[in-house]
Amino acid sequence: MKIALAGNPNSGKTTLFNSLSGKIEHVGNWPGVTVERKEGRIRKALTDRNEFITIVDLPGAYSMSPYTEEESITREFVQKEKPDVILNVVDATNLSRSLFFTTQLMELGIPVVVALNKADLISKRGIVLDIFQLSERLSCPVIETVATSGGVGRDLMDLVDALRQVEGTKQKKVLSVNVSDAHNRQEAVELEKKRYEKVNEIVASVERRAVSSHKQTLQDTIDRVVAHKWLGIPIFVGIIYLVFSISQAWVGPFLADIFVSWIDAFYAWVAGLLPETVSPVLSALLLDGIIGGVGALIGFLPLIMVLFFLLAILEDVGYMARVAVVMDRFFKKIGLSGKSIIPMIVSTGCAIPGIMATRTIRNVRQRRTTAMLSPFMPCGAKLPIIALFSGIFFAEASWVGTSMYLLAIAVVIVSGLIIRKITGDTSQSYFIMELPEYRIPSIKRATVSMLHRGKAFIVKAGTIILVCNAVVHILQTFTWDFSVVLESAPETSILATVASPLAFIFIPLGFGIWQFAAAAVTGFIAKENVVGTLAVTFAVTNFISVDELALVADGSQVMNVFGIGSVAALSYLVFNLFTPPCFAAIGAMNAELESRKWFFGAIGYQLATGYVLSFLVYQAGTLITTGSLGSGFIGGLIAIAVFAGFIIYLINRPKGSVILSKRVHMEA
Amino acid sequence: MRLSEGQVNSTYMVSKIDAEESGMEEFLFTLGCYPGEPVTIISHLKNNMIITVKDARYSIDSALAHAICV
Repeated sequence: MKIALAGNPNSGKTTLFNSLSGKIEHVGNWPGVTVERKEGRIRKALTDRNEFITIVDLPGAYSMSPYTEEESITREFVQKEKPDVILNVVDATNLSRSLFFTTQLMELGIPVVVALNKADLISKRGIVLDIFQLSERLSCPVIETVATSGGVGRDLMDLVDALRQVEGTKQKKVLSVNVSDAHNRQEAVELEKKRYEKVNEIVASVERRAVSSHKQTLQDTIDRVVAHKWLGIPIFVGIIYLVFSISQAWVGPFLADIFVSWIDAFYAWVAGLLPETVSPVLSALLLDGIIGGVGALIGFLPLIMVLFFLLAILEDVGYMARVAVVMDRFFKKIGLSGKSIIPMIVSTGCAIPGIMATRTIRNVRQRRTTAMLSPFMPCGAKLPIIALFSGIFFAEASWVGTSMYLLAIAVVIVSGLIIRKITGDTSQSYFIMELPEYRIPSIKRATVSMLHRGKAFIVKAGTIILVCNAVVHILQTFTWDFSVVLESAPETSILATVASPLAFIFIPLGFGIWQFAAAAVTGFIAKENVVGTLAVTFAVTNFISVDELALVADGSQVMNVFGIGSVAALSYLVFNLFTPPCFAAIGAMNAELESRKWFFGAIGYQLATGYVLSFLVYQAGTLITTGSLGSGFIGGLIAIAVFAGFIIYLINRPKGSVILSKRVHMEA
Repeated sequence: MRLSEGQVNSTYMVSKIDAEESGMEEFLFTLGCYPGEPVTIISHLKNNMIITVKDARYSIDSALAHAICV
């Protein structure tokens, strides 16, 4: 049996999906979290032995009306895949809006079961619902659910029972007229108004409210502060700083040291296992290349997990939607809207879902702009790079990480303006965002989300990154005629000879050393590789000291090995953070941009941004700290002049037509 | 009158949606914001307004508030 989960955005579909299937799909407490359908199977605890029920979570929708621009993912799904039952998740606290979609779903001919979700909030809000009446009026089963309670509750079992019961039956419609019979838009609108009248009638007969939803609540007062014209921004910055400090400076490194001691022990154990006769090349590959490279990375896992945990808490509380409101004012100035901040916030975890989240932005240019600028936000994979450099060169100061995020926002703002000038499209879009209720964040959900991402990180570390580190190590160990590189001549290895010419380009940026060039390149496969490659090429096995709970026992030791100063380190950090993202994210970008021109433009722009910013940091930093400019100043300046010239040319040439995309999905 | 000129804590009846962007009128309809339906202003935050339509709260920018005639 195949079940489709349909309903308004933020009604709890994905939470219910997780409870029914036992999966851990991402839930965010803001509309637009689910952009693609997700499929799963109802867990064994809820089904009979030989029963096989597939369940598909669809993105939220407010309606399936014809004559609207929005693509109806729900209608398409139903037409193409013909589910047996539609499980309509309805927010019990908002029947008057939700039932509009419900009655439309009932016209598809497929039996519908209504999951009246957030049932625990009904009495809290002083609402009384006559479930029996509702079920009668809708001619379908209505089951109260509390999707957030997790586990296998009575409500879920009743739900699955109801699904079984209606399978194979024909759904009775609630409206007597058929909207698709309408001959033109005007008629359709009139019919849909009748639909609302019917819904209002039903709601009036089943719902009693003690407190009107139009009255002010504590939440409204909080919103006035949090989304305040002037207070909103410092509150936002403060929260980001707090999140960062906790994950990077307090809790994170503490846990990381524990991890690293395990890795050290593992290293020693493996080294002990290897027989005396094993070739030094093989043992070096295994110990320094693989364990060392991956180990260096795993050491940062706790920092990343803590960050994901805190982000999940923030999302769960419902703060994300408010951030969009706060940022709307500023984003409007650069031709975007507050909606664009959400993909960017999601990108601080991983850019791939962030880029996909741009689908809810209606305006094509804004959507594309957001998709190409979201990767500038430091993602989870870039965190080890930030942690590494801030730890070695800046004694773990929190300002390093925070400034990278603030710099990212600044880059986004400037880039938004440039892109608007290049496309010549100054159209503004309206901003409308549903503000969900604040809720007490669930530690359990946040932990689950954190573990889920942590697992993904480890899997990635154990596969792609392990292979990359092994390859890097091999390329570094051998020369072109496959003889082992001499200790005294490390620059004769394959890797060094390939990376050195590339390193030449990086001289004006302060890190014209082949190891850094190689690491930056491997960063395109996965940003975590930057740390891994540096560990392998410099033969440093771990960056986190066990003896003193500090990031590195002797920062200067590693610093000497690296051979660059703090200014160049900062510049290298900036470079890696602002160049194009990993290939997987580039792929996601390509899918959302839907245009070759934009795609190559985006990549080019990102390369240029990384280079320019890095150049500015290095040269300005060197000037400030030593009084003279760094090497390669003229060369770098010429490169930048070329970039700038090209952009100015693009801004001033006559504009072509704006290519419209047919994919639009509406969310508030 | 436009919703942008409204007072906090007042409920108004929508008379017309005057949106420049195509599709916005239909979208507002699916939320329950159409001629004849009430809308209440909860907060006025300079460039943004928080309104209630059919038991849900939405934040809308001043341009959209201007487009809703009451």
